[in-house]
Amino acid sequence: MNDGPAIELRNVSKHYGSASNGVLALDGVNLSIARGSVFGLLGPNGAGKTTLIKVLTGISDMTGGEARVAGFDVRRESLQVRSRIGWVAAEVILDDDFSARENLWLQAKLQDLKDWQPRAETLLRYFDLASRADDKVSKFSTGMRKKLEIALALLHQPTVIFMDEPTIGLDVSTRRMLWEIVTGVHKEFGVTVLLTTHYIEEADFLCDRIAIIDRGKIIAEGSPSELKSRVKADIVRVESTVPLEADRLSALPGVQEVRPEGNEWAIRVASSSTFLPAFLGSVPAATIRRITVEEPSLETVFLDLTGRRIGSDEPMRDVRQFYAQMRRARQ
Amino acid sequence: MMSQFVGLYWREVLRTYRNPFVLLITIVQPFMWLAFFGSSFATAPSEVLVALIGTSSYIAFLLPGTLSTTMLSVGMFGAMSTIQDKRFGYMKRILITPTSKGVIFLSKALGGATRGLVGFPIMIIAAAIFGVSFHLSPIEWVAWVFALFSLSIGFASIFLAVTASSTDWQTPGVVSNFITLPLMFASAALFSGTYFPPWMQAISNVNPVTFSARLGRSFVLGTPTPWSDLAYLVLFAGAMLVIGYAISARWLKVD
Repeated sequence: MNDGPAIELRNVSKHYGSASNGVLALDGVNLSIARGSVFGLLGPNGAGKTTLIKVLTGISDMTGGEARVAGFDVRRESLQVRSRIGWVAAEVILDDDFSARENLWLQAKLQDLKDWQPRAETLLRYFDLASRADDKVSKFSTGMRKKLEIALALLHQPTVIFMDEPTIGLDVSTRRMLWEIVTGVHKEFGVTVLLTTHYIEEADFLCDRIAIIDRGKIIAEGSPSELKSRVKADIVRVESTVPLEADRLSALPGVQEVRPEGNEWAIRVASSSTFLPAFLGSVPAATIRRITVEEPSLETVFLDLTGRRIGSDEPMRDVRQFYAQMRRARQ
Repeated sequence: MMSQFVGLYWREVLRTYRNPFVLLITIVQPFMWLAFFGSSFATAPSEVLVALIGTSSYIAFLLPGTLSTTMLSVGMFGAMSTIQDKRFGYMKRILITPTSKGVIFLSKALGGATRGLVGFPIMIIAAAIFGVSFHLSPIEWVAWVFALFSLSIGFASIFLAVTASSTDWQTPGVVSNFITLPLMFASAALFSGTYFPPWMQAISNVNPVTFSARLGRSFVLGTPTPWSDLAYLVLFAGAMLVIGYAISARWLKVD
């Protein structure tokens, strides 16, 4: 039982609200997450990431399908699951009236741990919190609070830790610090980590494998390099001082797709090294304000799969078209 | 289950009294109650008071009733604490451990009841300062505390059950206004029920606040003790605990 995957989902669905007027937050999700891995669930806001964590931690019941965590059925063996998982919330959730050590004491009580003090002291030292262990956590910095939250999640030596958007709202330096902590915790404590994020670079940096989720469905899964290798194209972004014609751009060699994005054109090409000489030969150089080449990234993978960027819910509108409409309206 | 209960119960008790403002109010409030309300009949002739309430000391008469009505507010604080845990996400932290919703309910109900009882010795001291003398046996002291504990558990259970699925800060206040005031006035807590109209007497006769006030009053005034009132309060607490546990286990909302 303990040799299987850390997390396994078969056709898991979750429906909120009434059958006729509800929301399908998870739509037949299938996943298998190996023990000891750092697995990322990448997707835009509202994709179903947090719902998936709620279902796997037993906070929310699934509408259909089956899920197992640490070898136990999430629905039928909920107690065993909850004693083998740790949780790190998007927003730091601690008892602010208590000290760091008291928060650990309370977590030990909730997990019914008997000999928890040595482990707690080890964690306090590991996270550099030992000297402030008896201070109220309301006096802690955001970084310290995050560290304590991870210490709470590790106290009972869980098999799996769920991290729901662990760096959302953090400044860049704290985010970097947290990445190092997650990497360190994974190596030091050998725990499986399932983290959700909508930060491309976070998933790329931290995860062994990634599943891209959109509108409740897993639309791709693999290692970051496997996912990127699926996109056999570069994205060339061009901003010019004169209007460019989509038809003329499409006729250039290797062009797969031409799309307006804001006040620039996003041109998907088989190879930027073939496209660029042809493009620069077809327009006066003085009219080019900016050219950028985007090599395959998880962002382009998502764009390729959905036609949208992770940060946006709708395809970007052409700003020039918008202003043109405004001008016509005024006339 | 015991470990989770102990952790959450102590959390309830400790976090209340780590707030200096709560501590200060807990100490000052009994004095204010007795000073302001107890002085209502300060200049009334003794024979009028004896005829009305059976004693010449209105403070001695009022004390058991005031203690009983104080227990009504325990429920509101328990419900507010639960809603705070939901809104700040702590409820999720608790439930992503092997802790059941029923245990959360029990810890809130008993934690609230304990919190309510902390006011008991302060109130007794305040009454003594205002001239009330106490001649209770140890058994009577224990019985009085147990009666108040039962009353507060009963009301804490009602509040927690009613607000189990709510995440709105306003709900406990609204429920409190709906439950507390009618139960306070339709009881023998503040006045003797002798001159109540029949419909109000009917409510007072089943109101647990009346039973608690009547029992405590018998101890303070040295009149025959209605021990059946204690049994009624224990039954009330037990029934509300069972109902509250079942409702919370089924409907306690996480966020």
